[in-house]
Amino acid sequence: MSWMSPWIEGIGILDSAPAWVLAALSLIVIYIFIVVPCAALISYLDRKLTADFQARVGPNQAGPAGIFQPLVDGLKLLQKQPRDPVSWREAAWLSVHTMALYSTVAVLPLGSAVLLVDTDMSAFLPFWSALVLALGTMLLGFSQSGVPGWFGGIRVAAQTLAGAFPALIALLCSGVAAGGFRWSLLAAAQGTSPLQWTAFANPFQFLAFAVFVVSGLVTLGIPPMDAPFSSTDTHGGVSSGLWGRRYILFRLGRFYGFFLWSVIAVTIFLGAWSLPFGGSDYLREQGYLRLLQTLELLWLLLKTLLLMILVIWAARVNPRTRVDQVTDFAWTVLSPFALLALIGASVVVAWGYFQ
Amino acid sequence: MSIQHPLEECLKTDLATWEIGPYDAALPGPMKLRLSLDGEVVVSAAYETGFLHRGLEKAFEQQPWRAVVAYSDYLDTDGSIFGELAVCLAVEEIARIEVPRRGQYVRVLLSELGRISAHLGYIVRVAKAMNAETIIHYVLRDRERVLDLFELATGARYTLNYLRFGGIQTDITDGFVERVLEVCELFRVRLKEYNDLFTYNHAFLKRTQGLGVLSADRAAALGVTGPNGRASGHAFDVRKAHPYSGYDLFDFAVPSAGGIERDEGASVGDANDRFLLRLREISTSVDLLKQAAEGIPSGEFNYFGWGEKAIIPSGEAYSRVETSRGLLGCHVVSDGGPSPTRIQFRPPSLAHFSAIPELVKGIRLEDLPVLLATLDPGISEADR
Amino acid sequence: MRGSVFSTLVAYLKDVLWALRSVWGSCLTAVPYLFGSGDLHREVTELYPDPISSKTPDDLPAKSRGFLFNDIDRCSGCRECEKICPARCIRIEAEPAADESKIWISVFDVDFSKCVFCGICVEVCGPNSLRHTREFEGASYSNNEMVTRFGRGWVSPEQRKKWAAMRRQIEEEDGVRS
Repeated sequence: MSWMSPWIEGIGILDSAPAWVLAALSLIVIYIFIVVPCAALISYLDRKLTADFQARVGPNQAGPAGIFQPLVDGLKLLQKQPRDPVSWREAAWLSVHTMALYSTVAVLPLGSAVLLVDTDMSAFLPFWSALVLALGTMLLGFSQSGVPGWFGGIRVAAQTLAGAFPALIALLCSGVAAGGFRWSLLAAAQGTSPLQWTAFANPFQFLAFAVFVVSGLVTLGIPPMDAPFSSTDTHGGVSSGLWGRRYILFRLGRFYGFFLWSVIAVTIFLGAWSLPFGGSDYLREQGYLRLLQTLELLWLLLKTLLLMILVIWAARVNPRTRVDQVTDFAWTVLSPFALLALIGASVVVAWGYFQ
Repeated sequence: MSIQHPLEECLKTDLATWEIGPYDAALPGPMKLRLSLDGEVVVSAAYETGFLHRGLEKAFEQQPWRAVVAYSDYLDTDGSIFGELAVCLAVEEIARIEVPRRGQYVRVLLSELGRISAHLGYIVRVAKAMNAETIIHYVLRDRERVLDLFELATGARYTLNYLRFGGIQTDITDGFVERVLEVCELFRVRLKEYNDLFTYNHAFLKRTQGLGVLSADRAAALGVTGPNGRASGHAFDVRKAHPYSGYDLFDFAVPSAGGIERDEGASVGDANDRFLLRLREISTSVDLLKQAAEGIPSGEFNYFGWGEKAIIPSGEAYSRVETSRGLLGCHVVSDGGPSPTRIQFRPPSLAHFSAIPELVKGIRLEDLPVLLATLDPGISEADR
Repeated sequence: MRGSVFSTLVAYLKDVLWALRSVWGSCLTAVPYLFGSGDLHREVTELYPDPISSKTPDDLPAKSRGFLFNDIDRCSGCRECEKICPARCIRIEAEPAADESKIWISVFDVDFSKCVFCGICVEVCGPNSLRHTREFEGASYSNNEMVTRFGRGWVSPEQRKKWAAMRRQIEEEDGVRS
């Protein structure tokens, strides 16, 4: 377990516990204290900002300015009865879906210290998870034995296959620039000021960044590319048969996919967790390690939330794209541009090498 | 000639059948669609209507003449003024009543406001079918202004019950005309906003261009009239062809698909044309509103000498009105009794329904709501 | 009709650029609403029921057709409204009152769960007793609560006897006088 982050070892209270217990514990802690609050925050911001765009009021009853609305929604959905008795197929696929997704909490890069898994392959692991997630979502749709779920499942498969290729190529671009796919390496390759971030290093990297974000929408079926979950023609597609608690699980899973993708995009393209104005180095020199870790985490989350809000903004004003147009778009627009970005980025790196 | 792959032989799939309705988010109202699907592509579709049948035409026969107008509101609540107007025109023809000029102008004002409000509702339905949330709220906000005008003039927002045989119920409220002009100005600004936000959006154009092409010949053969027919190039408008209620006094051009510049090879009469035509009709209506509001004469608004207890003489008449969906015909038969013998409608939406089976052939399942929303058959008036 | 590779490429790039511009344009259209003021920032929806911001009956135009109100003192019990009502929502029962020239309207029920607010009853009302108010808040939990009763109530048998006696007395007095 040598690649396990020093963060776990640094806890100190549970030194004698086996490593897997520590890893499991930290997964739960990260999930409860980072992922779920972020989900609540994003859902609140989404509703409030969308309301402002659309000249509406938005949530304003639960707590000051409706800040507790996500909590209330969650509680309401939790106490709902399932519409039909749990079918074992659906239960099985829902749990596979959930486990596949949350196993990636382990590879989530959340600051220089909160890196549970930091291997040469770590940047690729979330992709693996996205593919497994798509499989789980597809089978979840099929297991509902209804036409909407069936179409939803097929659409998930089509979109994920189409979106994964340009996303991987875009990831290669940042790897080429950084010289590896280790989170710490990817982060160290980027400077602290925005101009030194990979995305703004040269036009090709910016292209790669744009392709990465958009192909994430395609892969995970996030609005406006959410044809698998379309409510007008297929009653919500994959989620058409889900209700109450199962629906919460499903929605949280979808949110987590989006969150994961944004965190990765920020880590590999938008300067990762290093604080602006050389703050990281200063704090490290001064020895404020805990403060440094907390600030890094918050800075990273802030950038992630901003990126997500940008995506939500675009999703709210644009109509939903048809699934065959989405796959066309991924193969004929995203992929060529990703390849172009890869070639350009490689040439830039080679240029620097030969000089 | 394509050579059949051996794999295709063993993976041969049958057509799937999916029945949607009577209540479904994809449908414009209670109706049933029986779809044959090859994968996601619709091979054929059969529709079934009648779920919203209220026996409206029969109910007319049991009403006293005075309540007839109140009932005709419910023909199509999106544009209730058109049903009233059709009935009133027919009855006025039977009773040989001349509507005073002011009454006619008010009728034109309300008709065009009704057309605007119905077309705004149309934009909302199309946007909803494509999950474009923001435009929905902007459009609904502006429709509120039109509904407020209705309330100011007539006292109700939807089911107006304002027209009377021989004119209108009461004179319009003071300040109504000024507010109509205000709303005209507002729509000049708003239409541009709708275009920036939605009409010229790439995703919207990609989804609607080439979808559900209805040729002018087929439109004429099926009897598709109104914006749908004009979008296909079947340029027929009752307001121009058979002017009623003083429409011949106004100077306006009826938009038709012929005038739109398009890329070469692009077809006329697709979903995008139908949507655009509605937007252009809104500006035509704004023109008409302006002319009517500026030129409204003073004087009597109701047929002079028309006693409230007067009896409709026996006879029959057929009137035609251009509604927001097309040609609405109304046949009224009277035997001089206290209530009508027969009132029969020819709603425009019946023709739109008959176009559905041939338009859905070959489109994807995802485009079905969009197609139905752009075709915009009014279930309420078709089932009546 | 095959275009050259170059023109195809240019058309492709133009299409991509156009898509980007239109998406960006759509996003920008919504921005003034976020930071806007005046008409742009006015909200479409509002909290309901909210005593501060929501519309009150006084805000509505004078012609607004809200709930019906019948002034029973002026009502002549002619049943014109009951006959004309397209929704059959008015129910009237009347009988001769103590004074024979007047009518005792025992039941005048308007069932607002059926009413379509068309306003014809108000038009036909001879004595102008029936009118529309501008009230529109009428939600209730059951259909029975939707019935508004304007009648004076049923007449008991004793009352009827008393009235008959009164009428006879008046008649006798009239007879004596004449």
